[in-house]
Amino acid sequence: MSASSIIELAGVSKAFRIPSVRRDTIREHLLGALEPRRFERLQVLDSVSLDVSRGEAVGVMGRNGSGKSTLLKIMCGVFPPDKGRVSARAAITPILELGIGWNPELDAVDNVFLVGSVMGLSLRQIRRGMDEILAFAELERFANLKLMHYSSGMSSRLGYAVAFQAVREVLVLDEIFAVGDAGFRARCEDRYRRLRAQGHTVIMVSHDPRIVSTFCDRAVLLDGGRIVMDGAASDVAGEYLSLLMRPSG
Amino acid sequence: MTWSPDLESTVLAADRAQYGTEERAAYRYAGLVWTLVRTDFKARYHGTLGGFVWALLKPVSMFIVLMGVFSFLFASNPTYKLNLIVGLFLWEFFSESTKSGLCSLHARGFLLSKARVPPWILVVTSISNAVITLGVFAIVIVVFLAAAGQPPTVGAMLAFAAYSGALTAMVIGFSLAASVLFLRYRDLNQVWEVVLQAGFFIAPIIYPLDILPERFHFYLYVWPPTPIIEFSRAALVRGVMPTTTGHLYLVADAAICLLVGILVFWRLSPRAAEYL
Repeated sequence: MSASSIIELAGVSKAFRIPSVRRDTIREHLLGALEPRRFERLQVLDSVSLDVSRGEAVGVMGRNGSGKSTLLKIMCGVFPPDKGRVSARAAITPILELGIGWNPELDAVDNVFLVGSVMGLSLRQIRRGMDEILAFAELERFANLKLMHYSSGMSSRLGYAVAFQAVREVLVLDEIFAVGDAGFRARCEDRYRRLRAQGHTVIMVSHDPRIVSTFCDRAVLLDGGRIVMDGAASDVAGEYLSLLMRPSG
Repeated sequence: MTWSPDLESTVLAADRAQYGTEERAAYRYAGLVWTLVRTDFKARYHGTLGGFVWALLKPVSMFIVLMGVFSFLFASNPTYKLNLIVGLFLWEFFSESTKSGLCSLHARGFLLSKARVPPWILVVTSISNAVITLGVFAIVIVVFLAAAGQPPTVGAMLAFAAYSGALTAMVIGFSLAASVLFLRYRDLNQVWEVVLQAGFFIAPIIYPLDILPERFHFYLYVWPPTPIIEFSRAALVRGVMPTTTGHLYLVADAAICLLVGILVFWRLSPRAAEYL
């Protein structure tokens, strides 16, 4: 691991075994005991190596099924790799979905505590940042309203507000950069730029070449579980568009 | 599926990166546990005392019905009502907590597949409401005994707390193992419901153990709630302490349940997110 690296993946591979017939219950296992299943191996990531430096913004692009989300989940420790090594020198804030863990039976304040804790914030940090979170989401007036009464836009804004408050050294984003009206998006982009200016490292998956070109310094292109290109974000975004024009196989 | 040193080190490295040093990790875990327990309690009981009292009505009404029916059958037994309330409330805890624990990872699967939360926290916090209810039951039992003219001694209450602790350890062990197995076998909860139905009659809750021939007692004691219920009744109702051998058996029982649960969980939980 080089001195400036904050996250390093070395030869990471991941495969899933796909059965010919799914058996999810004891009954199905017992009834199918005499009928052996065939398993196909789906290689999602194949010897992927990636070095992310401190303060860098790296985009991850690729077609559906190319292994982008699996790569992020392995980086964040959600999935273990089958082979290879993942080294992290800093705390990672994974935002793989907005508002994950919301409880619709609770009001916004309790949900901020819930999701903030899940994202690694301490109770003190949540209490200190509560006003700022509610203000960012423009939900001060609805702080004591149960989330079941929120619109999807309100929930998403709250999700963003908590996520931005929870960011520690490394922010990992999966396709969540398009929420709310133009004004809210502008504030999100402004917040993102401030995080970058503060030296945070960002790794983001996106299908949108504009987002990757605008918000990333560098990008990698995944195809068939392998990194086929690693370079300047705009170059990789261009190559991604060319890849989409080619027949998959 | 094989366990590799790489796999373990990756998971631990992710934990360290996420939560920093062990002291910081313990501090953040404590905050997360507290928040999960508090919000779960609030969501379940609508944040009101009335909601919590409402939840207690089920075991209390069951006690009233069973007492009404069986106290005639066991009219010659002067401590039948006291034994029934002790047995029934302990059973209620066992039943509710194992059902919650079994479904815990599945119920909060989104936290496993989309966030980095230590899965054992989701399992252990899932039984918190049942533990709180057990605490309230303990107060109800003591009040009931006092009202019946048999207030328990401090020693008896401490023994009951220890037995409740042993039962909680068994429940945690079961929940750890069952929660990861449930992700692979989605009808495990139905199987467990059947086991609980049978288990209610295997444990001496509505009948005194001594109505059965002594040669069957050993087999009934293999069912974990039985020794807890019998020992609790001995201490609280009869005012006698079980034997040292009995206590050793209980400790071994709880330790085995907990260790087996931890072992199964440690083996299967790193890949739990892949089964969601």
